Amino acid sequence: MKETEELKVANILEVEDLGVTFGTDTGDVPAVREVSLHVRPGETLALVGESGSGKSTVALAAMGLLPSNARASGRVSVDGTQVVGAGEAELARLRGRTASMVFQEPATALDPLTRVGAQIAEVVRNHRSVSRAEAAREAVELLRRVGIPEPERRASAFPFQLSGGQRQRVVIAMAIANSPGLLIADEPTTALDVTVQAEILDLLRALAADSGTGVLLVTHNMGVVADFADRVAVMLNGEVVESGSVEQVLLHPEHEYTQRLLEAVPRLEVEAPVVESVPREVAGEPVVEKAEPATPEGEAVVELRGVSVRFGRGPGAVQALQEVSLTVRPGETVGLVGESGSGKSTAARVALGLVAPAGGTVSLFGRELGRTRGRARRALLSGVGVVLQDPVASLDARMSVGECVAEPLRMHRRGLSAAERRARVAEVLERVRLPRELAGRGPRELSGGQRQRVSLARALVLEPRLLVADEPTSALDVSVQRTVLEVIAELQGELGFACLFVSHDLAVVQQFAQRVVVMRAGQVEEQGPTMTTLLRPETEYTRRLIAAVPVPDPVMQRRRREALRTGVTA
Amino acid sequence: MTAVLQTTPTAEPVANYRLSLRRFTRNKLAVAGLAVVVLFLLFCFVGPLLYSTDQTHTDLTQVNLGPGGSHWLGTDAVGHDELGRLMYGGKVSMLVGLAAGVLATVIGTLWGATAGYAGGWLDAVMMRIVDAGIAIPALFILLVVSAITTPDTLGLIIVLGLVSWLVPSRLVRAETLTLKSRDYVLTLRATGGTHGRAIRRHILPNSVSTIVVAATFQVADAILLVAYVSYLGLGVQPPKTDWGGMLSAGLTAAYSGRWWLIVPPGLAIILVVCAFNAIGDGLRDAFDVRGRG
Amino acid sequence: METLVYLARRVLQSLVVILIVTVVVFCLLHALPGGPARGILGPQATAQQIASFNHEQGLDRPLPVQYVYYLGTLLHGDLGTSYTLNEAVSKLIEQRLPKTLVLTVLSALVGLLLAIPLGMWQAVRRNKPTDYVITTLSFVAYSTPVYFLGLILVLVFTQTLHWFPSQAPQGDTLAQVFADPVGLVLPVVTGAASMIAVFSRYMRASTLENLSEDYVRTARAGGARQGAILFRHVFRNSLTPVIAMLGYYVPVLFGGALVVEQLFNYPGMGLLFWSAAQSSDYPVLLGCVLVISVATVVGTLLADVVQRIVDPRVKAGQA
Repeated sequence: MKETEELKVANILEVEDLGVTFGTDTGDVPAVREVSLHVRPGETLALVGESGSGKSTVALAAMGLLPSNARASGRVSVDGTQVVGAGEAELARLRGRTASMVFQEPATALDPLTRVGAQIAEVVRNHRSVSRAEAAREAVELLRRVGIPEPERRASAFPFQLSGGQRQRVVIAMAIANSPGLLIADEPTTALDVTVQAEILDLLRALAADSGTGVLLVTHNMGVVADFADRVAVMLNGEVVESGSVEQVLLHPEHEYTQRLLEAVPRLEVEAPVVESVPREVAGEPVVEKAEPATPEGEAVVELRGVSVRFGRGPGAVQALQEVSLTVRPGETVGLVGESGSGKSTAARVALGLVAPAGGTVSLFGRELGRTRGRARRALLSGVGVVLQDPVASLDARMSVGECVAEPLRMHRRGLSAAERRARVAEVLERVRLPRELAGRGPRELSGGQRQRVSLARALVLEPRLLVADEPTSALDVSVQRTVLEVIAELQGELGFACLFVSHDLAVVQQFAQRVVVMRAGQVEEQGPTMTTLLRPETEYTRRLIAAVPVPDPVMQRRRREALRTGVTA
Repeated sequence: MTAVLQTTPTAEPVANYRLSLRRFTRNKLAVAGLAVVVLFLLFCFVGPLLYSTDQTHTDLTQVNLGPGGSHWLGTDAVGHDELGRLMYGGKVSMLVGLAAGVLATVIGTLWGATAGYAGGWLDAVMMRIVDAGIAIPALFILLVVSAITTPDTLGLIIVLGLVSWLVPSRLVRAETLTLKSRDYVLTLRATGGTHGRAIRRHILPNSVSTIVVAATFQVADAILLVAYVSYLGLGVQPPKTDWGGMLSAGLTAAYSGRWWLIVPPGLAIILVVCAFNAIGDGLRDAFDVRGRG
Repeated sequence: METLVYLARRVLQSLVVILIVTVVVFCLLHALPGGPARGILGPQATAQQIASFNHEQGLDRPLPVQYVYYLGTLLHGDLGTSYTLNEAVSKLIEQRLPKTLVLTVLSALVGLLLAIPLGMWQAVRRNKPTDYVITTLSFVAYSTPVYFLGLILVLVFTQTLHWFPSQAPQGDTLAQVFADPVGLVLPVVTGAASMIAVFSRYMRASTLENLSEDYVRTARAGGARQGAILFRHVFRNSLTPVIAMLGYYVPVLFGGALVVEQLFNYPGMGLLFWSAAQSSDYPVLLGCVLVISVATVVGTLLADVVQRIVDPRVKAGQA
């Protein structure tokens, strides 16, 4: 009955048997195969999958925006117009009027030299013959609609003068300028902090509901899906493996891949907003059985006392850290969380001696880092292992994996013979669950997850007393992230090192750390045992931060959203 | 915040240098450039064995002959065979150009790497010196030097190297600045690695492609500069010569129609300099490094 | 306020650079065999004559003292006196510099006006025959010694076609120079050739980079046509870094002028410099080097300031 009713409404987007192949230096690469899907007016279809699944390629194909080395086949029709094979002129009439797009990177999506008002007005005038003044007025109105304060003044701002969230609002204003029937959003909140993400999702939801616009939402984030989508299509290796309503797919996944994917998603444990407890069908197993928060004892492995850091001089200087104090004790894992610009990475770099503090002291293994020099300092630092965020930049592409891992041995265990070194490298590679044969390969031949495990192997080859991990998994897909986190946890159990774990992902930190330090604008906002701090935060900021994280359960997420709207935060 | 790894699809993992080689060989201009350089090297160094001429003694019975007969490209005002002289002069032009280009790159690399890695006030001072050097046009310095002295070949190489190391030094400094904040260098420093190790094991090896590209362009510029040197009165002395020397010696002859005295050396210079520029362009795209546009 | 701070810092930097240039010039002066005395008194001077000259001129004092003294005279605008022309160097340069500026500015304008559209055109037609042809031509233009190019142009356009004279406009005043615009054609074209080559390459690279930027995709997603994207967005964004390169090109332009003026007998500073080199007129040589270096430093400074005006991000220290 419902089915027949829906059939009457023509689909705004219809994709049938879409195939896309990229021609590259090394031959043709199929990116999308036999994909069929549709979006009805007023509904949101989420296209989810991990990197390389082809989800963004589908979105670009729907706009006719595929790069020049791509070949598309099949049928994509937007409001009845066939897009595959259409000429540029025809596509230009379609884009920005019938279908619009919001992109991932607000930092680069806008022309840096053109005022934002003019960029919005340009989209208006691309499709409607209105005067310049009229288009400028409309631009201001659109800025107001997307929630930019003081739109008259902001219209004459350059993109660099706006924050990331505001820039994304401008891109959205451009997208809705001609009230399109279809809005394609390609990872629209991935580059944003969670609190900003929540605002942008609210905005998109409201706009779509107001105008009956169909939305194709491309994302890797299951929380965003649960928060926003009506229906879901899951992609794997260029194909759609499962699709259905959001409740059906997220709560009762049928395909084995979808089940695996959902299982790997780290879930933030939150206090239910409503009195009755919410049944959770697919309970995310915590990655780590956390050691009981029996206060770890012994002398601090690393201790920051009243540390301040300033970058730059004169009026342009930035106070990156202000009076930051934190301690990591032997064997414990401390999670350092905060949004971008909170200073969490800077704090980790201070602990590593990479950034010299302007005020305060840093002690490593009981010795003041600022006072040690030369050989003594190097010996002190040899007790530290480091894993940084970027899997590509973390390994020197000119060295083999074996050489990368052996580097700390060459620095601090000079006496080892080549054979002993090889044996040690092979052993530690196996410990991070990589085959020892990998030692002869180049980093470029490895996947992101493998590279991060190589970094981990390098960090652990000297059996350090402290591991500093700065967003070690945030560039990775969730399934890969899970493996890396498991390896770290397992080795921590065996080797007993302490860990300073920097992350923006509260769910990961909740599962991984015994204590958590929340940072905000260069200062420590609050700190305490993970479960206490993240379940019953003391400060309003932390509460807001937690409330903004969408959980990958549509029923529960809906209740949280309702609760947030009515102000009944837990 | 979450930087999802942007993956460019590739069909198969290919070793880095093979990909570079493939990109280079696909650049037709670069391959042509390589062929031109090889041909000219053969012409100048093997040519005299097949086409032997006397380039040290003048022969006043054979002056200003047009092309043809036993002198394929004619003779000059003192009776040297022009084709033989083209080989003879090319040796000097290419050797001096190569040596001066390499010397400039070496000086520039050391200077730029030091400034970039050290940073702070040392970097500021070293780069102001580079700015000052760039502000004085090389041709003016060469002309001043020519007013003071006439150097021999080795002296010429040193002078040319000393006036042209500035651009590579800026390139290498920029590269060093990027490399020293790479995650693998930070990791090394944070775990007790020395500066020396960071430079030896990571920064220099990773700058190699930038340096090679810079050197190629530098050789092109140096060969061109060698062509100016005789014109400015600083060139090698007769009976030795180079392409620039032949060109400036033939300038007045050209007005009276003896084109064979200037067209061959002029074309030789243009071809070889073009060739090195095309190779540099191809290498830059193949290695995917930054260099001059 | 921010702009003032920035300007002050840049001017200070430029002053440091000029100071270093004076050190180099001073060292060159003292590297002369026999020192300046030998240069002034000529090769026949006796050792005694040289010694008394050195004493008179204070040249027997320690080098740092002499350097301070040299700086002092420079600050008074005193660049010394020409040996051969018996006139103040500053006076000579004052007469000749405007003519050289006319030549270089015209060459730069012609060069840029041709190079920028050429480079954009190449970028749009990347790897098509147009791109290859222009690339090859610009390689050739870059690789041709200026004096050889000038010679070929004279042989073709003067000796064979009789279109343009082989001599640049003569005369002492700028009015006399501009009275003979036809005479300026060959010198300006000769001076512009390598600039066209270099800047069309810059513009091509810059345009290609911008064409692959995200904002181009955003504009296309908003329904903008290719032409509108090119001229409304890509052009300005691509031009900004090219403008920044202009400052560094000033010395090359002056170097070109040196050869062009000699070739076409154009009485500018290049020709003055050239004849000074022939007659070992050191004060003129060093005065010219100093003035040209200052011009280059000022040119670089101007290019920076222009870029700051065109690109609002630079002002905020974001680019």
